Amino acid sequence: MSTIALHVNRRAVEVPAEPRTSLADFVRDKLDLTGTHLGCEHGVCGACTVLLDGVPARSCITYAAACEGADVTTIEGLDEDEVTSELRAAFTREHALQCGYCTPGMLVSARDLVLRLPDADERSIRVGMSGNLCRCTGYVGIVRAVQSVIEARRARSIAPLAGAGRTGLGPVGSGRAAPGRSESRPAQQALAAASENIAACSIPDFTPATVLDQRFTLPYPPAKVFAIFDDIAVIAACLPGVSLGSPPTPERVEGAIRVKLGPVAAAFEGAARVERDPATLSGRIVGIGTDPRSRSATQGEIRYRLLPLDGGAATAVELSIGYTLTGMLAQVGRPGLVRDLAKRLVAEFAANLDRRMSGVPSGPGTSAELSFWSIASDVLRARIARIFGRRSEAG
Amino acid sequence: MKPAPFAYERPRDFTAALSMLAARSGSAKIIAGGQSLGPMLNLRLVQPELIVDISGLAELKRAEISGGELVLGALVTHADIEDGRTADVTRGAMRGVAANIAYRAVRNRGTIGGSLSHADPAADWISALAALGARVTLRGLAGARTMPVEAFVLGALESALHTGEIVEAVHVPARSATAHWGYAKSCRKTGEFAHAIGAVLIDPAAASARIVIGAIDTTPLVITDAVELFGGRIAADYKQRFDVRVADALLAKAGIDDAAQRHIHVSVLRRAVQEAAA
Repeated sequence: MSTIALHVNRRAVEVPAEPRTSLADFVRDKLDLTGTHLGCEHGVCGACTVLLDGVPARSCITYAAACEGADVTTIEGLDEDEVTSELRAAFTREHALQCGYCTPGMLVSARDLVLRLPDADERSIRVGMSGNLCRCTGYVGIVRAVQSVIEARRARSIAPLAGAGRTGLGPVGSGRAAPGRSESRPAQQALAAASENIAACSIPDFTPATVLDQRFTLPYPPAKVFAIFDDIAVIAACLPGVSLGSPPTPERVEGAIRVKLGPVAAAFEGAARVERDPATLSGRIVGIGTDPRSRSATQGEIRYRLLPLDGGAATAVELSIGYTLTGMLAQVGRPGLVRDLAKRLVAEFAANLDRRMSGVPSGPGTSAELSFWSIASDVLRARIARIFGRRSEAG
Repeated sequence: MKPAPFAYERPRDFTAALSMLAARSGSAKIIAGGQSLGPMLNLRLVQPELIVDISGLAELKRAEISGGELVLGALVTHADIEDGRTADVTRGAMRGVAANIAYRAVRNRGTIGGSLSHADPAADWISALAALGARVTLRGLAGARTMPVEAFVLGALESALHTGEIVEAVHVPARSATAHWGYAKSCRKTGEFAHAIGAVLIDPAAASARIVIGAIDTTPLVITDAVELFGGRIAADYKQRFDVRVADALLAKAGIDDAAQRHIHVSVLRRAVQEAAA
């Protein structure tokens, strides 16, 4: 906790706040300026849009600490603002609000459009307002209101404000803070050891929510590959990120998998059971796992089938990786990113397996991240995805 | 929807930021505009012990033309480019891309360096800068290295950044007077991450082209030897000669198994080619 000093609605403010406090929470909870609304809290809905150094910014994904020394204007600070006054009248006239939840953000974004784009037509207004979602009135009245203000000002020959008057480079709100450090409150994560939770559980069958098919080939006969698939310790060592707990048996394999997708990392601890059918050279690994840190759980399954290639000299390994993810990580909705990750993990698994079978010892740390759990991990990544899917890009 | 607690540090300068990163060996995250990291922190997908906020570092807010190329510091925002506060050597190409990234409130804080570092395959700069032939400079305590943008992106959210490295600058070569530019993307909703991106830099006078098919869930396809896409030669009639079958085959070869997906990517690429020819 440290003191954050900035200007809000032309008033100097100095209030203690944790580093993780968003600018939106800062103005709402510390300054009682509750006109700034929070909808999605990840930059998609626009309800939290405020003016930062005079131009719109998302206050839910901007931390107050990053705005040290900046000028913040919330909807409460726009009471006397000329453009906002015109917009308020137009919103009233055109029935541009119903419940009003999105309205503060709409007004801030609309004000920016009015100032920057004097020639905006309906389409540019719709594009310009696309980062502000309304769930009840709809957009017709809102667009009409913004358009009427733009047209009225154009009729009065009011010149646009290029770049909304900004001259410096870099993120708005930045650049006026002195170097410094602020500690967090120690994280209080009383986590039950996941392995203990899992230990008593049985490992149920399930229908995966997502299935990814992968295939690779190994230059060894199917029987030899099938034999190595029976050696759980070897397979685990080849799986990126996997570590085993107690000595594995086919009925029960306990361990963990760490997975990483960009900045997102998760560690699932859990257990799996292994089934094999020598007649068809196929098998299945079914597992469950939890990641206490992200409060997420997964069920995963890897089905494999070995097919002879080149008259039995080589083997095609067909993998079908299925998983279901629940909890926080389940929010990611970009399966494409997960597929890319799964491909990379399977390629690494295949290379490790090939090295192992050809007698090359894998160096320390080469076991990366794919396992009975890779499933789970994939899941994880998947979850991330959705966020991006809904949000939008930025740096 | 509130981040897990983290410590927060504002370094005095770029070197201090690199030292902080190096000292934490992986448990620290750099934040600039925070428009990608912020949502991930709020959703607790990322729970770093320390956030190093580089958004105030003036060294990274430069934009200058040097040796015929534009050098943009990592902290230059999309809105800076959109509004023309930075010099332009691409004859409007970068302004057009910047103006259609996410939403204005996001562009006011989101940075070009942050967007690249995040390495989301569906983000605009990865594809656009690869088509423009841009390079990126990464710096760590041990020194700096520079590489083409297409070599920087290794996969979905995976970049060539080593632990302790930060994107320092982007180098954009001047677009030649005869080169045509086209950029198209398909978003289900305006401002969302793209589902397909086509970026083309075609110079009929020089009979050369850089073609990028992006937002394919992994590293974009960058085609520098593009004559096959235009029936064997790149000339003034390239728009008529654009061969969708070759584009489709390239996508299939890249592992895009779904024919509908390939169709979307090919259509978006064709739009980019048409825009270049317009």
